Amino acid sequence: MYLKRPTAVQPLQLLTWDTCYFHYLVPTPMSPSSQSVSTTSDAGSQESVDGGTVGRTLQWDTDPSALQLQADSELGRRMHRLGASKIVQIDFVPKELVTYTKETQTPSAAHQSEEEEEDEESSELKASPQTDQPEEEGEAEDSKEAHPRELTEEEREQILHSEDFLVFFERSVSVVERALAEEGDIFFDYSGRDLEDKEGDMQGGSNLSFNRVFHDDHWSKHRVVTCLDWSPQYPELMVASYNSNEDAPHEPDGIALVWNMKFKKTTPEYTFHCQSSVMSVGQIVLWDNRSHRRTPVQRTPLSAAAHTHPVYCVNVVGTQNANNLITVSTDGKMCSWSLDMLSQPQESMELVYNKSKPVAVTGMAFPAGDVNNYVVGSEEGMVYSASRHGSKAGIAEMFEGHQGPVTGISCHNAVGTVDFSHLFITSSFDWTVKLWSIKHNKPLYSFEDNADYVYDVSWSPVHPALFASVDGMGRLDLWNLNNDTEVPTASVTIEGACALNRVRWASGGREVAVGDSEGRVWIYDVGELAVPHPEDWSHFARTLVEIRANRGDGEEEGAVELPA
Amino acid sequence: RYCCSPATITVLHAFVFVSCQTAFVVDEVSTIIKESVEGAIGGNAYQHSRVNQWTTNVVEQSLSQLSKLGKPFKYIVTCVIMQKNGAGLQTASSCFWDNTTDGSCTVRWENKSMYCIVSVFGLAI
Repeated sequence: MYLKRPTAVQPLQLLTWDTCYFHYLVPTPMSPSSQSVSTTSDAGSQESVDGGTVGRTLQWDTDPSALQLQADSELGRRMHRLGASKIVQIDFVPKELVTYTKETQTPSAAHQSEEEEEDEESSELKASPQTDQPEEEGEAEDSKEAHPRELTEEEREQILHSEDFLVFFERSVSVVERALAEEGDIFFDYSGRDLEDKEGDMQGGSNLSFNRVFHDDHWSKHRVVTCLDWSPQYPELMVASYNSNEDAPHEPDGIALVWNMKFKKTTPEYTFHCQSSVMSVGQIVLWDNRSHRRTPVQRTPLSAAAHTHPVYCVNVVGTQNANNLITVSTDGKMCSWSLDMLSQPQESMELVYNKSKPVAVTGMAFPAGDVNNYVVGSEEGMVYSASRHGSKAGIAEMFEGHQGPVTGISCHNAVGTVDFSHLFITSSFDWTVKLWSIKHNKPLYSFEDNADYVYDVSWSPVHPALFASVDGMGRLDLWNLNNDTEVPTASVTIEGACALNRVRWASGGREVAVGDSEGRVWIYDVGELAVPHPEDWSHFARTLVEIRANRGDGEEEGAVELPA
Repeated sequence: RYCCSPATITVLHAFVFVSCQTAFVVDEVSTIIKESVEGAIGGNAYQHSRVNQWTTNVVEQSLSQLSKLGKPFKYIVTCVIMQKNGAGLQTASSCFWDNTTDGSCTVRWENKSMYCIVSVFGLAI
C-alpha cells in the first residue's frame, strides 16, 4: 500500500473515541450560566465576523467550567448543527442512435380541441412568423373553457420547439394556405346543391393553354430546372429538381421541390435539400416525404463501386412492390439499386460499345413494361439499345443519326390496341427531334421544325401519336403525328422564359410541365388535342407505314433491319 | 486580545489537532478510492461474469484502507459498475448531517467498456 500517511500528528492517545472529547476537561455544562454562553458560542463558532462582540462570544472563557466546545454530547445541540449537504450528481449522456425506419405510424392526436383552436387562430397568418405564435397560443388558451392553466413562458417555448408541434404546425399551415389561396369560398356548401355551376370550368376549344407557373422566389430563383416528374400516386403532385444557385453559394447546392397542382398555392408543398447539385457528382440521394426532414434520408456513397461521374438519368422500373432504381452516369456506368439499401448497387455494368468506348450517357428510357431492355442517348449523338440481363447484357445496338449530343429520349408508353412500344424519340443539340424504332438503326423520321437546341422530348402517356418537345428559345411544341408530321400541331412560346430544359406529361396526359433555366416550372393544359380516340391507334399505325414508305424512297441504303 | 490562560491555549491546540485529525479529508479518501478501483478493475474490459467480484473487491478494499486511517468515522462505501452500451445514467444524492465534520467523496472512473462510480460517505462519530 502506498498510501500517503499524513505526516501531521499522531493521534493523541488521550483523545479517544468518546463522543465528548473534552469530557474530563470540562464538566458537563448544565448550569444556566453556561446555557447563555452556549448560544453565543454557537454564534461564535460559525466564524462570525462581528468582531465587536469578541469578548462576549468567545468560547474560551477563563472559567474552564464554562468552556463550550463543538464536540458536545448533548443531542439537542448536535441536532442544531445538522444541515443538508450539497447534492452529488452523476450524469452519463446516452449515446444517440441514428435509425431509419420505413414504416410510419400516424401519431395519435394528443390535444384535439387545442389543435382546432390553434388552427382557427393561425388562419390570420400569411406566412408563419414565429413572433405571432406566443400571442396565438395565449389566445387559444384564453378562448378555451373552464379555467385553462396559463402556460408559463418556459412551457410555451418548449411546446413551440417540440417536434410534434412543428410538424403539426407546418401541416396545418399548408392546409390553411391552400384555403386562403383558393379563389373559391372556403365556406362553400358541399352538400351538392350547386353542382351545376361547376361544369363551366372546362376550357374547351383551345389546344394548349397556360395553366400556371410554379416559381418560388426563395428556392427556385436562379436555379436551372434539371428534372421534372409527376407523382404516380398523387397525380396532382409534381417534383422538380434544381441545380445550384450561383447567387447564393451558402444555400444547399441541389434542391427538389414538390409542387401541388390542385391548389393554387404559390409555395411548394415540400422542399428537400441536398449537398451536391441534384444530378451531379454521381451521388444518388433519397428523400422520404414521410419523415418530414429536409435532408436526404439515404444517400449512396461516392465510391468507385457506384458512380463517380455525374448521374444524368434515374429511372424507377418495375412494379410498386418489386422495383429497382436504375441510374446511369456520364462515364458509361449503369447501376441498379434497391431502395432499401443504397450503400452499394445491386448490380453495375459498364456500357461499352464494341468493347472499346464507354458511352457517355445523357438520357435513358425504358419501353413501357420492359425492365430489361432500354435505350440510352449519348454525348456523341449516338443512341444505343442495351439490356440489363441476359446473354447480351450491355450495349446491343447503335443507332446513328444525330449530329449533336442527345439531350432527351423517350419511349412510347401509351397503351392501346396496337403496340408501339418499339418506338422512341430523341432530341438533340442538332435542332432536330428524331423518331426511331428499335428495329432499325436509322431514324424513321426527323422533325426539323426547331431553330435551336431541342432540350427535351416526351411522349404523351395516353395518346399514341402525341409528343411534346421543348427547345432553347422558350418554345413548347406539341406534335400530333396523326395530324401532321411536318409542323407541330400546337406550339407556344413561353414569354419570359429563356431556355426550356425539361418537359414531362402528367400521368393523366392532360397537362404538361415544362421547366426552364430560370427555375420556373410552367404547367400547361392541353385541351382536346390530348384526348385519344380509339381510332388514333390504327391511324398512327397507318402513319407509321407512310413514314417508313417515305423514308424508304431515296434514303440511306445503310438502313439495316435489326432483329427485334 | 484573547483572555486566555495557558490552560486554554493548550486546549486550543488540542482542539486544532483534533479537528485536523477527525475531519473528513476529501483528497485522502479520494486517493484511497482511486487506488482500490484501479487495483480491482484497472485494465479489464466489462465482463458480466466478473463484475460482481469487482464491485465487492472495490468496496472491501476501500473500506479496509479507510478504516486503517484510524479516524473516528463511520463509513459508507457504494460502488456502481455500468457497462458502456449507449445508455444514459443519472443519479443524485444528498445528506443531512453535520457539514463541518462529515463529508463525502465520489470518484468516477471509466475505461472503454465501462463506468465505475464509487461514493464514500464519512460520518463523524
